[in-house]
This record gives sequence, C-alpha cells and structure tokens, in this order.
Amino acid sequence: MILIVNTTSDTTVTKEIRERAALIGFEPEVIEASGLHISHCIGCNYCWLKTPGVCSVKDDYEIILKKIIHADQLWVVSDTALGFLDHKGKNIFDRILPIATMYLKFGGDQMRHVPRYDKRTDIGIIYRGEPDKEYLQRWSERAALNFESRSLGVYGTDKLKEAVSCMC
Amino acid sequence: MHVLIINGSPRVKQFSNTDKILTKFTEGLSENGTTYEQFEISDKKQWEDIRRAYYANDNILIALPLYVECIPGLLMEFLETLSPKNDGTKIAYILQSGFAEGIQLRCGEAYLKILTKNLGCEYAGTLVKGDNFSIRFFEGNMRDKVTGPYTEMGREYAAKAGFESDKCRAFTGYEIFPAHMRLMLRIVFRTIGRVMFTRISRGWGCTKPLDHRPYQ
Repeated sequence: MILIVNTTSDTTVTKEIRERAALIGFEPEVIEASGLHISHCIGCNYCWLKTPGVCSVKDDYEIILKKIIHADQLWVVSDTALGFLDHKGKNIFDRILPIATMYLKFGGDQMRHVPRYDKRTDIGIIYRGEPDKEYLQRWSERAALNFESRSLGVYGTDKLKEAVSCMC
Repeated sequence: MHVLIINGSPRVKQFSNTDKILTKFTEGLSENGTTYEQFEISDKKQWEDIRRAYYANDNILIALPLYVECIPGLLMEFLETLSPKNDGTKIAYILQSGFAEGIQLRCGEAYLKILTKNLGCEYAGTLVKGDNFSIRFFEGNMRDKVTGPYTEMGREYAAKAGFESDKCRAFTGYEIFPAHMRLMLRIVFRTIGRVMFTRISRGWGCTKPLDHRPYQ
C-alpha cells in the first residue's frame, strides 16, 4: 500500500498524484492531514515505556500510525520553512516513534531501536517551497535508517511525475 | 557577556534531559560573570517573551534534543515565527541525543548551520554529545556523572563565545564505537538492557511487554 500524507492545504498536489497513479494503474491511499488535528511529539517516552506502541497524545495522528504499519511506502507532502520541512511535515516523522521499541541493537556499526512491527516502510518527501534540497535528501536517507527502510527521494511539487514513478 | 538560552526540548521542564544538562552547563557559564536568561519552548506561554529576547540579544544558545535526525517539530514551529536578524547575532547550539555515538548527531548538526543562515545570524558552533537518554531516570551522583561534564563546557563557552574549540569537538567522544565495544554493547542490549528497560516500565505502571503490538 502506498500511503500519502498531505500536511499542506493544497489538495491539487494530491489530486495530481492520484491522476498520475491512475494512469500507471494503482491507487494510493491519501490522507489530507491539514484538516486533522496533529500535535507535536512531546518526548514523554510513554510509547516505549508505559503504553508500548501507543502514543500518549490523543489526536488524529493515530489514524496515520495505524496505516503506516501496513504501508510499503510513506510519502509526506510538506510545506518548507527555514530550509527544511515545516513543523507540520516534521511532526509526521517525530510522531512515528511508536513503531520502534525501547529495545536497542546495532544496525551495521550504529545503534538503532528494534522495530515493533515486521513491515518496513520506505519514505519519500514531496515539498512545496524552497528547502535546502541537498540537505533534505541527506536527512531523508538518515531518517530511513531509523525505520530500516530506504529513502525514495525528495521531490518538488513540479516533479510529481518523477515522484509517482517511484511509487510502483 | 549576556546569553539568551532557549531550551528547545518539547518535554516539560521537570522531565527535560536538556534542562538537566543546562543546569550543569550554566554553573560553568556563570562562574566569571557571564549572565544568562533561560526560556522553555515546551511552555507556549513563554513564546512571546522568547521572541522578544531573540530580537534583543546578540548571543543566543539553543539547547535541543535530536528528534528523528533533526530538530523537534515544536522547536521548528516556534522558529518559523521569527524573522531573520542580519545584525551579527551569534547562535550556538547544544545538541544532545539518546543514541551514544557522535555520528548519530551529524545530520542534525548540519541542519543547525542551515538554520542559522536562514535566521540571518552567525554560526558559533554546536556542542555535540549523545548517551543522555538515562538522565531523567537518574538522580544525585548518578545523574551528575552524565551531566557534570557540561560544567566545563559552560566555562569554555563563556571564554570563547561559542563551541568551535578543539576541546568542544573532543567532548563528543566516540564517533563510532570500536568493534570490541559494539560486541560488548550487543550483549548488554540483549540482556541487562532489556531487564533494565522492563524494570523502568514496570515502575511507570506498564503491564505489557515492551515489544507489544497494539495495532496488529
């Protein structure tokens, strides 16, 4: 399953993704998150140590979390700020922590958290605005290491054709 | 010198590891007359005061935990409300994490340079150190063992107005653990580590195994 989480208020991006996906013959699952209430991660560690796998912040993020654990790919559509994802885009990744456990291991030569579920979800970024693209690419590759998956790349909204071609 | 210190942790001050680090850091910072004011990003009621202080101060220190390889979403939300200064203001950072190796924080450190430029300020270095996850679980001497070394870094910052000295760079410790330490840690993670984390979780009232799968 290809999961698209649009944190921007611009639904023309997801409309174009759907149309391009239909041409290739698949249907992504799209969540328009701008109308949802999604708070930031408060760093309480409850999802690791008090209520394993369950976030203590009770808001609409649970809808996304329940889908991520079945998704082959997670694409976050985000506005940008200060050269990076804006806080709405970053919050989608910060709140993903319940998919990891408190347990530690080494992945290659670096520490990692042991994943909670069997599914590995690759991540891709579609951005609006002007981030430091080289950095965003580096960040997405590092972030994917934490999910034992790979980065599908970072694409501006003018490169949706390229992004959609990575979805199948 | 007067320093504006912003604790960029989203965790409330009482449980903030970053705050405990700053407690020790500011002991060293203030020894020879350097003054500071400290604010907490976790308390949105302070945001207006932090904004005012950001525009009024030319030495700023932002201390933050690493969240998914970069800055926490809540800190980003605050920073988005600021305008670039373009007046020579210096920003230095204390970047801390749970993972212990320096390499884990380098991607976050790289962003702090980009951030500083976007705020129209001058980059004064980042003090990079991991292995801080346990701070909230320790008290007294055990906690001081982890946070105590930051006092010397406070002195260093007061003397150099930044973290670009060799002493600060060395503070990171291991960039990657050598093979024999990784081997030892692997064993610790599978044995004592699991017991310790489970014990903490029981103390927090957890009744489920830590690898519980609530959504499957």
